[in-house]
Amino acid sequence: MIETQDVPLLDVRGEICPYPMLRTNKELDEVQPGVLALDVLTDHPPALSTIPPEAMKRGYGCEIDEVRDGEWVIRLFKDQ
Amino acid sequence: MTTSPAVRPQGLALLTESRQIVVVALPVALYVVALTLGTSFATFFAVGTTVGFTLQRSRLCFVSAFRDLILLHQGRTLKALLVGLAVGSVGFAMVMSTIVGDPSTGRMPDDAHILPLGITTVLGGVLFGVGMVLAGGCVTGSLYRMGEGYVGSWVAMGGVLLGLYALNRTWNWWWEVTISTSPRVWFPTSLGYGVSLVLTAVLLALSYLATLWWERRQPAGIPIPIRRALPAPPASVADDVRVALRGVFRREWPAVVGAVVISVLNILLFIRYRPLGVVGEISRWANDLGSLAGVPVGVLEGLDSLAGCAAALAEGASWFTDGFMLNFGIVVGAFTGAVLAREFRLRIPRQPQRYVQSLGGGMVMGYGAGLGLGCTFGAFYSAIPSLALNGWVYGLAMAAGAVIGARIIRRLM
Repeated sequence: MIETQDVPLLDVRGEICPYPMLRTNKELDEVQPGVLALDVLTDHPPALSTIPPEAMKRGYGCEIDEVRDGEWVIRLFKDQ
Repeated sequence: MTTSPAVRPQGLALLTESRQIVVVALPVALYVVALTLGTSFATFFAVGTTVGFTLQRSRLCFVSAFRDLILLHQGRTLKALLVGLAVGSVGFAMVMSTIVGDPSTGRMPDDAHILPLGITTVLGGVLFGVGMVLAGGCVTGSLYRMGEGYVGSWVAMGGVLLGLYALNRTWNWWWEVTISTSPRVWFPTSLGYGVSLVLTAVLLALSYLATLWWERRQPAGIPIPIRRALPAPPASVADDVRVALRGVFRREWPAVVGAVVISVLNILLFIRYRPLGVVGEISRWANDLGSLAGVPVGVLEGLDSLAGCAAALAEGASWFTDGFMLNFGIVVGAFTGAVLAREFRLRIPRQPQRYVQSLGGGMVMGYGAGLGLGCTFGAFYSAIPSLALNGWVYGLAMAAGAVIGARIIRRLM
């Protein structure tokens, strides 16, 4: 597992569908293409079922962690 | 995994565990108050609360049913809705057959959502589809997200009120030009209940197949499992109870469970009163607010001849109606569900353009809902089970609108 402090954070709190997913895709495809791991911070529960399948299409695994009530970090990572 | 250090609290996680008991007491207390006002008020409030709770728990989103099909080739929600519609159709057919025994006479059940079918159905559906994608929620979706603490949904609801007000200002024109002469097409009139139900089932099955086909049009990703922290396995009856409670109150329900529960509630409400629909009531609010502001909409023609979501326009007398209790119940039920799931928080959009988007989308959606005589509930989810052609036309038009809406939102990153 990658050290947490090395993982860039994409904060999409306040955004609702489809933006958490679209912005995550943009991050993976354009802003940081090929990034080994990315934490996506969201307060929109439906994003928990839209971001992972899209990330998987790009070859990322996912781990979801509820960091506090109504707020989640989705960690996307490529196994090395 | 630990929390990233960059994470800072944002918004307000308002309620802690000890306050959750209060949250359960809230709908109960409101129900008792509603009972003192009238039995039907209490029933509509109870149904509304259950609908809101169900929508919150299953995160059932009519927008995602159409939008995700376009953006992601993902049909999970649409497939759930199709299953729910099948359940609803069977129940509605049974209810309607007790109201109109012989449909071949041309009589139609008054409260079923058999609506005038014409250009306004198509136009209303397209506008609704565009607006709901822009606003990020349909009318019912905005109601339940209001209860979950989404500030954007409150803004969208303001837009819906403005859109409905604008539609009502132009209603008489639409009525004279087209709606008054638009036919109401109810399958059982010519086909009887049995064949109409089979036809509806076949159309739903074909829609399901088409969704499966469409999903396969995009290559699937390499399935890498989602990892979540696993709780310790249950070791006692108390643990088993906790697991069961967690399944109901904390974890997300499958969309299909939500869709079927909504359909069952719809059938139950129809048995006693009328099918689910939220827009007629909001339309009345828009008119009342217009009157308060000194710009009343005046007399709206033809409303007593229409079922579904136009009918409430004519009531107008008091703020407390069945429809009010239903809509208010949806907000309360979603709030309760969100707090119990520890998901409630004020969600404040940080980009200014999102407020414009919610308001504008709400307005377009409101105008479309008024024109099409209903929203995703009234003109679609209650109309297809009414075995009426207008439900299908509205659904297809809404899908077309969602295609346009999806093109627009991609540009508004």
